[in-house]
Amino acid sequence: MKPIRLDLSLLFLFGFFLCFSSVCSDLVISKLDRRIDLSSHIVRTTTSLKIENNGVDGVSEILLPFPEHQAKNLAFLSVMISEGKGKTKEFSDSLPVDVANPVGMPPALTWYSVTLPKELGKGRSLTLEVKAVFTHILRPFPEKITQADVQLVAFQDSAYYLSPYAVKVQSLTVKLPEPKVESYTKLEKTKFSGSEIKYGPYEDLPQFSYSPIVIHYVSNKPFAVAQELVREIEISHWGNVQVTENYNLVHAGAEIAGEFSRLDYQARPHVRGASAFRNLVANLPPRAHSIYYRDEIGNISTSNVWSDSAQTLLEIEPRYPMFGGWRTSFTIGYGLPLKDFLFWSEGKRYLDITFGCPMSDVVIENLTVKVVLPEGSKDISVSVPFPVKQSQETKISHLDMVGRPVIVLQKTNVVPEHNQYFQVYYRFSNLSLLREPLMLIFGFFLFFFACVVYTHADFTISKSSPSYLAKLQWDEVQTAIQQFESIINRCLTVHDKLEASLRDLSRNGDVQACKAARKAADSLLKELSKELKPLLSFLQSSPQAVQIMPKVEELVSKERELQEKLMLKYSTVVDSYEKKSSGRDIENRVAAVQQKITLLRQEVDDLLEVIDEI
Amino acid sequence: MAQSVKPISSPVPDAWYPTLAVLMLAIGLVITASFFIYEATSSRKSRSLAKELTTGAVASVFLGFGSLFLLLSSGVYV
Repeated sequence: MKPIRLDLSLLFLFGFFLCFSSVCSDLVISKLDRRIDLSSHIVRTTTSLKIENNGVDGVSEILLPFPEHQAKNLAFLSVMISEGKGKTKEFSDSLPVDVANPVGMPPALTWYSVTLPKELGKGRSLTLEVKAVFTHILRPFPEKITQADVQLVAFQDSAYYLSPYAVKVQSLTVKLPEPKVESYTKLEKTKFSGSEIKYGPYEDLPQFSYSPIVIHYVSNKPFAVAQELVREIEISHWGNVQVTENYNLVHAGAEIAGEFSRLDYQARPHVRGASAFRNLVANLPPRAHSIYYRDEIGNISTSNVWSDSAQTLLEIEPRYPMFGGWRTSFTIGYGLPLKDFLFWSEGKRYLDITFGCPMSDVVIENLTVKVVLPEGSKDISVSVPFPVKQSQETKISHLDMVGRPVIVLQKTNVVPEHNQYFQVYYRFSNLSLLREPLMLIFGFFLFFFACVVYTHADFTISKSSPSYLAKLQWDEVQTAIQQFESIINRCLTVHDKLEASLRDLSRNGDVQACKAARKAADSLLKELSKELKPLLSFLQSSPQAVQIMPKVEELVSKERELQEKLMLKYSTVVDSYEKKSSGRDIENRVAAVQQKITLLRQEVDDLLEVIDEI
Repeated sequence: MAQSVKPISSPVPDAWYPTLAVLMLAIGLVITASFFIYEATSSRKSRSLAKELTTGAVASVFLGFGSLFLLLSSGVYV
């Protein structure tokens, strides 16, 4: 295997820095402890610096330089002040960090300046905790491997901390994923034990000290890189936050050369496929429901869900093991309960949800987060804890008229450290919630209205044809018969009322009430018979009604007879009551009439039915 | 400030959606049936426009909310 060539430009840079050694000498780093975590493909460095001010003036800014190859892959940088030691260490909130261009400093470096909350006075010291996360900084070497090979990667950095300040004591610890190293740069005071390589402690080094190291080691961790991830978060005030994530995933490690044997892989997956990854685990919020995992072809059945009260774990397995250079694209989606993520504060609603992707150790090259707010949202503002590119668009979805406002947030090079909560504030009236049901109601009403219009409209072309005229006449006859029927029915209810009043009489003997009922019934029946007259004369004159006329006439006569008999019965009963006859006596006297009434009622009902059928 | 933050949930509990959907659709369909029976049986002259429109309006309110809850209970959050 060929030895790894170092970036020569770095060496030139190193020489270049020596020319600038006289600036910033007021500050001295008295103790520096650096840890580099190489256990995944995301390189995390944690540096704790104890800074002393030996100058006269107070200092409120501290400069952090990064060499170019690191700076362009820097995904995340946070600086905190730590107090205490060991387990009682306490960290302050993140300090503001800005890109700086200090005068008189080498321009080949990228500078970040940390603003301290209060000036560091003369002779005072403080401890800073700098956390930096790099992506794409590990270089697979060799770049192409076969299915059976393990993946080797090379990492390069400086054994000394690159700083514009002099460093008194410093040490570096590099943590590897496995205790297997192909080679590593041996300097003085280098120790390799277990899966850790230690450099240092080195004492009294000047500014911009640089001593390149290269570590070439085994890493079979999944190099999962999402080249494109679109997260769509859709809020429905009917109780759901729907998240849809479109992944475009690639294994960014050493590319596989030669052929892939599924048989070998199935037989001994850890040997014949060590560099491949089989599954990914997404850590979804608790109470996630309706989870799906699919791609363009359809559902992918190789997934598993475990849930408890604290989290929902979704394990997804792509359709094939992911070897270096292979790519796959899929979609996962899930619903979340609204009350966990949507809050109300000072007259505004806000969504509070995590920014990054829920999968552990996935680097996202281009992340687009779209927050789809309900239709009718106003005064939208976004608060994200780190800089993002922000824009707005609209999306037409179910039951929309003007479209929903969509907040689009874009960020490149996203690592799990960006999985922080961000807020979208907006105003929304609860009345706008009724927009969708009102639309549905209006739609249904239009349908009913169309039906009404259809039945009322006359679509006959020839208005003078005999059949049309006959139909018109028949319609009229039908209407008359319906009216006639309703009048007869009303008569019958009057009869029923009279009967009821008679029953009341037999119970309480109130003759006066009964007489009043009789009077009311009489006037009603008179009115009804008056209404009946024009109808009957119309029916008699109409040629279409010839067939039905006998029945109608029969019905009228029967009804009249029924009415008479009823009145007869009525007067008999009332008379007997006035004469205080016994109940049995009354019954005997009405029995014959009652029989007749029942018979007539039966006939009337039958006739009504016959007419109704026509 | 912290106490003024309160979670927002849906106006109707999620668990009621299927029941509401079945109930309101059933009522809506019954009223729709009565609307069409009325349309078909009454003759053109005796028909009352107000009655038709009221029946239609009531039926559409029930069908509208019923179909909304049907959508919600089947996972289409509008």
